[in-house]
Amino acid sequence: MTPAIELQGVTAGYRRQDVLHELSLTVGAGEWVALLGPNGAGKSTLLRVLTGLHPATAGSVRLFGRDLCDIRPAERARLVAVVPQELVTPMAYTVEELVTLGRLTALSRWARPAAADLRIVERALAYTDTLELRDRPYDELSGGEKQRAAIALALAQEPQLILLDEPTAHLDINHRLEILQLIERLNVERKLTVLLASHDLNLAAEFCGRLLLLDHGQIVADGTPAAVLREDRLREVYHCDLLVRPDAAGTPAVVPDRKPRLIPPEQALRIHVICGGGSGAELLRHLRLAGHHVTCGVLNAGDSDARAAGALDAELALEQPFSPIGAAALDRARQLATRAAVVVLCDVPFGPGNLVNLALAEEALARGAQVLVNSHQLDRRDFTLGREALPRLQQMLARGAQPWLRLDEVHARLAALLPPPPSQG
Amino acid sequence: MKKKNWIPWVLLALAPLVLGGALLIGPTAVEWLDPRTELGQALLLLRLNRVLAGFAVGAALAGAGVVLQALLRNPLAEPYVLGVSSGAALGAALAIFFGWTAWGALVLPVSAFALGLATMALVYALGSHQGSPSLYGLLLSGVIVSAVGSSLLLLLLSLSSVEGLHSITWWMLGNLQAASDPLLAGCGALIVFAGGIVWLFARELDALTLGREMAHHLGARPGLVVGLGLVCATLMTAAAVALAGLIGFVGLIVPHVVRSLIGPDHRRLLPAAALAGGLLLVLCDALARTVAAPGELPVGVVTALLGGPFFIVGLRRRRKAGWVE
Repeated sequence: MTPAIELQGVTAGYRRQDVLHELSLTVGAGEWVALLGPNGAGKSTLLRVLTGLHPATAGSVRLFGRDLCDIRPAERARLVAVVPQELVTPMAYTVEELVTLGRLTALSRWARPAAADLRIVERALAYTDTLELRDRPYDELSGGEKQRAAIALALAQEPQLILLDEPTAHLDINHRLEILQLIERLNVERKLTVLLASHDLNLAAEFCGRLLLLDHGQIVADGTPAAVLREDRLREVYHCDLLVRPDAAGTPAVVPDRKPRLIPPEQALRIHVICGGGSGAELLRHLRLAGHHVTCGVLNAGDSDARAAGALDAELALEQPFSPIGAAALDRARQLATRAAVVVLCDVPFGPGNLVNLALAEEALARGAQVLVNSHQLDRRDFTLGREALPRLQQMLARGAQPWLRLDEVHARLAALLPPPPSQG
Repeated sequence: MKKKNWIPWVLLALAPLVLGGALLIGPTAVEWLDPRTELGQALLLLRLNRVLAGFAVGAALAGAGVVLQALLRNPLAEPYVLGVSSGAALGAALAIFFGWTAWGALVLPVSAFALGLATMALVYALGSHQGSPSLYGLLLSGVIVSAVGSSLLLLLLSLSSVEGLHSITWWMLGNLQAASDPLLAGCGALIVFAGGIVWLFARELDALTLGREMAHHLGARPGLVVGLGLVCATLMTAAAVALAGLIGFVGLIVPHVVRSLIGPDHRRLLPAAALAGGLLLVLCDALARTVAAPGELPVGVVTALLGGPFFIVGLRRRRKAGWVE
């Protein structure tokens, strides 16, 4: 059987920027394939290339064995129909008038619609359960009804392939299911080939046998939901942590792994951060977002970390700009650090001006507080005259301070300090 | 929404009444003209010419309004939106200013027609990107070119003699008197021809209101239809302007009112709006001839005076029916 879609080495883009890079893809007739991927991955462009809206600058696009360039618009409309994210018309067409437009290429310019065309429209309305809506203005329908009417319009074209561009993006969960079940029926009963671009990984996994994961204009994964939805791959593509757990029926379900998690106020820790020059801003933000009580210092006023700490309402020990740390500021920082349960040292270089900050961490370690030392290129961060900082940092690590490199390691250390969550029941 | 399918038939039934009535209305009262006398025959022919011109102009403006509102997906679109009016006015003013009108009766309308088309071509060129016109590009360049055209027109007005000023102003206010038979025949044929072509593409107009991409998916050729529609609408408008000068409001209100009554299906809307526009202008012209007899009001003033309030009332009543917010 000829495949419904055959793309070979397709490159396409806008202006000078390619969105799709030598993409090759085959979709068999009767398949239901979901097209997944982050914003800007090229999903919409791929759909536009498939309908000839956007030209491919290289490669070949074939639909049902025929080169797309050789298919006239009227024929193409009878092969491929598109359901957009939202069908909008500024005028008050009734649902039936709108769905009749699906017969556009079949209708005579001179005569009224033929009986056969009216029957096809009738069937499309019946199939999508929009018969009772036929005389209502399309614009007055609810979101779910509108999308059913849009699918009826596509069905009235009697296509063999239907492309859906995030058709459920504006719908609530109930209507999402309704629309996807309708598409499932089309796929099973009418043997329609379906390509569904979607952001909803879970619904796609639930309904489609085959998922395509698109990233930077290329297909990075193609296969069953279980094969495509893997945590490592999703992290790479979506740039955030996602957990994949099989649901009751065994279909993989994706949930965001939200970090940092918000901590109840009574469990918030006092954390003192030693940073500077931008090494601490991200950490400060994370700790504040998690709900911890954050203090910071000694920093020079005007330092980017000092500005970040100020913006985050962290308590702060400040020294004059571009001055070595003096006794008063150090005292103030010591007051903050001694009350902290955790002291975190960031990826900050040490010189004669801020070496005294190290003492705060050493004192914390001595009194038994948790100390976390960023261990990134320790030997390159020592700018003191006598190379004092490096041995002192190493000594702290030897005495029980914990090394860290990434923020999630800090989160993990802090989580270990929190009381375990109460068990269910 | 209950469709009022009888509305076009009512309009059709009214047509002979309105047209016949307008033939009978003289400067002061209803008068029977005897076609057997030479004077009666001459008067009747003059009035027939005027009534037919009024109908053609009204139909052309309403039809062009329907087409442009659909193509530009904008409820404020009207026949003059792409700069045809200011171009045509400039053409007419040039003809009057330089005294070309002495060369023949057709010079003024032909000059208005030509400059109207040229302006539209300029707007089209400015509003296009890589060969295909963009909706906002067209609207924006239409506004800009119109503004420049109006400034040039004002410049001409400020330099004109008193008589020239008067003729230019009178032309701009719109009137149906000047139409000569060959001009009427030519413009009428052009209006029927262009109107017929857009009617054949009425379903494509429906599809285009869903946006160009959707029209493409449905199998229409959006580029072709948009181009064809703009050219036909402009030809109709330019022909109307050449016949009668600038007559406002017909091209804006009639499409809205008729759409709200019978729905936006363009296969019905286009002929119905053309019919309604034609009858409305014939009526307004009959009013313009009689209200201030023996003087005559410019018909453009009558349409605007009647149209403005009617439009506001209609717009408030029919929020839902014709046009979606």
